[in-house]
Amino acid sequence: MGAKAENGVKPPPLAPSSFPFPFLRTLKLKTKQQELLIRVSALALIYVLAFAVRLFSVLRYESMIHEFDPYFNYRTTLFLTKNGFYEFWNWFDAESWYPLGRIIGGTLFPGLMVTAALIYRALRFLTFAIHIREVCVLTAPFFASNTTLVAYFFGKEIWDAGAGLAAAALIAICPGYISRSVAGSYDNEGVAIFALLLTFYFFVKAVNTGSLAWGLASAFGYFYMVSAWGGYVFIINLVPLYVLVLLITGRYSMRLYVAYNCMYILGMLLAMQIRFVGFQHVQSGEHMAAMGVFFLMQVFYFVDWVKYILHDPKLFHSFLRITLTCSISVGALALGIGMATGYISPWTGRFYSLLDPTYAKDHIPIIASVSEHQPTAWSSFMFDFHILLFLFPAGLYFCFKRLSDATIFIVMYGLTSMYFAGVMVRLILVATPAVCLISAVAVSATIKNLTRLIRTKSKASQTGSSKGTSSLKASAKASLDQALPFQRNAAIALLAGAFYLLSRYAIHCTWVTSEAYSSPSIVLAARGAHGGRVIFDDYREAYFWLRQNTSPDAKVMSWWDYGYQITAMGNRTVIVDNNTWNNTHIATVGRAMSSYEDEAYEIMQSLDVDYVLVVFGGVTGYSSDDINKFLWMVRIGGGVFPVIKEPDYLVNGEYRVDKGAAPKMLNCLMYKLCYYRFGELTTEYGKPTGYDRARGVEIGNKNVKLEYLEEAFTTSNWIVRIYKVKPPKNRW
Amino acid sequence: MRPKSDHASGGSAAAAAAYAASQPSEFDSIDPILHLIRFLPYGFLRPPRLRLKLPSSLALPSPMTVFSLVLLTYFAVVSGLVYDVIVEPPGIGSTQDRSTGAVRPVVFLPGRVNGQYIIEGLSSGFMFVLGGVGLILMDLALDRNRARSVRISFASFGISAIVIAYAMSMLFIRIKIPGYLW
Repeated sequence: MGAKAENGVKPPPLAPSSFPFPFLRTLKLKTKQQELLIRVSALALIYVLAFAVRLFSVLRYESMIHEFDPYFNYRTTLFLTKNGFYEFWNWFDAESWYPLGRIIGGTLFPGLMVTAALIYRALRFLTFAIHIREVCVLTAPFFASNTTLVAYFFGKEIWDAGAGLAAAALIAICPGYISRSVAGSYDNEGVAIFALLLTFYFFVKAVNTGSLAWGLASAFGYFYMVSAWGGYVFIINLVPLYVLVLLITGRYSMRLYVAYNCMYILGMLLAMQIRFVGFQHVQSGEHMAAMGVFFLMQVFYFVDWVKYILHDPKLFHSFLRITLTCSISVGALALGIGMATGYISPWTGRFYSLLDPTYAKDHIPIIASVSEHQPTAWSSFMFDFHILLFLFPAGLYFCFKRLSDATIFIVMYGLTSMYFAGVMVRLILVATPAVCLISAVAVSATIKNLTRLIRTKSKASQTGSSKGTSSLKASAKASLDQALPFQRNAAIALLAGAFYLLSRYAIHCTWVTSEAYSSPSIVLAARGAHGGRVIFDDYREAYFWLRQNTSPDAKVMSWWDYGYQITAMGNRTVIVDNNTWNNTHIATVGRAMSSYEDEAYEIMQSLDVDYVLVVFGGVTGYSSDDINKFLWMVRIGGGVFPVIKEPDYLVNGEYRVDKGAAPKMLNCLMYKLCYYRFGELTTEYGKPTGYDRARGVEIGNKNVKLEYLEEAFTTSNWIVRIYKVKPPKNRW
Repeated sequence: MRPKSDHASGGSAAAAAAYAASQPSEFDSIDPILHLIRFLPYGFLRPPRLRLKLPSSLALPSPMTVFSLVLLTYFAVVSGLVYDVIVEPPGIGSTQDRSTGAVRPVVFLPGRVNGQYIIEGLSSGFMFVLGGVGLILMDLALDRNRARSVRISFASFGISAIVIAYAMSMLFIRIKIPGYLW
């Protein structure tokens, strides 16, 4: 009856009296409350962290929209807040794709714009008078924070609360997600990843509980995803595949039936409300897997029910044979008739190139030209995932060790999304939540093992020190013998190692975010001669010049990359823009850019072009300019107009702009527009005039004369050059 | 769970007829196809007496078998196999030394984050899988049902695998991206 016995009998969790912080002693929190406090404060910190780490570009430059696509989203959101939802939903835009126009209401995914407009309305209601642009810039970080919360609940569903916390922390700073959800990147993916994870979480919850409410929630989550991004096709194919795997492995019950039926039917009906999606859920080949699994499930459960009712196995075998032949023949017949009549359209090129990656390279140059659609090299994986690449296989192992409905789902999600991430760099974004969740399982399981090693040793020493019976001592000794040598020290060292690895992950993520993913792309920065930072704001300079110095109905021809920015910031009509829905129209522009000046003038007259805009990086060394993109213009133009042949512009298969370049290259419109007056300029000390810093050569044709165009504006660093198309000459 | 043999034999009516023919009472069946087949052509043809049995290996593979396949696929994807198939880079690059004219091999494709040669992809993928396997071995070392020496070797193997994999990956990424982290 002394302190020794008291030590042995006291419960393992720390009593408040031994807590180091004196003020908490007065609160006298029980262990459960301490744990809840730690969890909630950790989640709150993770929420703030996810928001804060995405703010680099806002702090460095200003609060502006980045890249190309977000400018279109910003313009439509502006229209939505000014004119209301019905005007937005029925909007026909005459300012892009002149002279065709674009039915914007029916060809976009409205989820992002409606979300931003709702947030804006809510803030205005609370009398925060902010501009819609600020809301647009900060929508993606806000939804990234919400994604961490969903990841916590999902992790809790798959494994336990520790894995949930680890998942939330990992996904908050993972560069794969940050790359598309940084502040200013006002793009569909920022909201879509939140919707994706939410739908998956609700569905797994519905399968685990069998409750109709969760099924309904997953249907609405799917509706939000369909309204937000074209990547919803991933959900509508992964979920049926998951259901199929569960049916094959025998893990089916009424819960699965309720969950899938509710989600599929309601989700499909809700998805048809989006005009852009329309009736694709019953008409498109990409959605047929879901329908097939739906019918299969009805047959499967029907046969299972009949087997349960019938007590005669022979009768049941006959019934099974009849049912199977009937259903298989009816299904095959329906599919065959659907595909033959063309009612069910085959897989579109964008998604077919995911299954057969070589397809786009040979057949669809527009898809192949986008740099985001290139396949992924190992360094991109390492850049975007860091140590998650080690934790992913370990997490898969833990999931396979403890198979349940939820772990089967996350394994399938992880594997399919990793394969697609290998096919296309852009899809690393879709794989990120799965990789973070599975890695969190590995982190949580490993750290639990290590802490268990530390705690069992101390418990054994505690029981050993008490005045126990001899049998207790013997068992304590036996458990000590089975342990590995230096177990406790090794476990502490390994815990320190795990802490080191996770801190390196955090450092890597912050570095990557700061250096690689926080550039607005519309404002370029470089290190000057003395190490200071030099900012090139040429794009906005050119667009503002267009806005102020051209007539309001002027039409601007440029390559499709810049279309959205010109309409949003320059407020002028463009010929082609980033939507790339009309390949022939883009090919016409490509043909104009790669023809001689007189042929190009005819094309420009037919399109009513007033101004031509080109991007040129020869003075600054900017490598994403139109001369480097020129071969794609030739390929796309040549794909529709065989008069444009790619070998005409190459010398021995090599693309050159110096003296040895092909004569067609030296006299085409793009070359002339980019290098007009460039031959007189000295760009670098010690090099001749007309030295192109982006290509690193002296240009071949320095004496460029323009007959049908005249120079209207060149920005201060010669990055954007605008030319005015002269009206046709009078007859005399 | 329903036995697997029912699925396989359900679709084919001829096999059904052979099965029913070996059963004593065939008039109990409600199967119309069976009665049709019995009449024509098996009214005058005599089916041979076969003993058809499905191989019992049609059972589902164990989770660990599936997991090893998955690990192999992961290695293929993460070493950039799809990139290799589409872009067809050389196995290893080469530069020419300007002064001596000798051709030196270049292992890591310089200049871009999203580009690789085949060998650098495979070696990096191997490092990632090694790190994962190291963690798995560490977990296996805690299994109390194995012999002590096996557990110690698992643990040491696992720890060294993780350390080596992490160090090599960091080295690779530093070579590949010159400005990494500093």
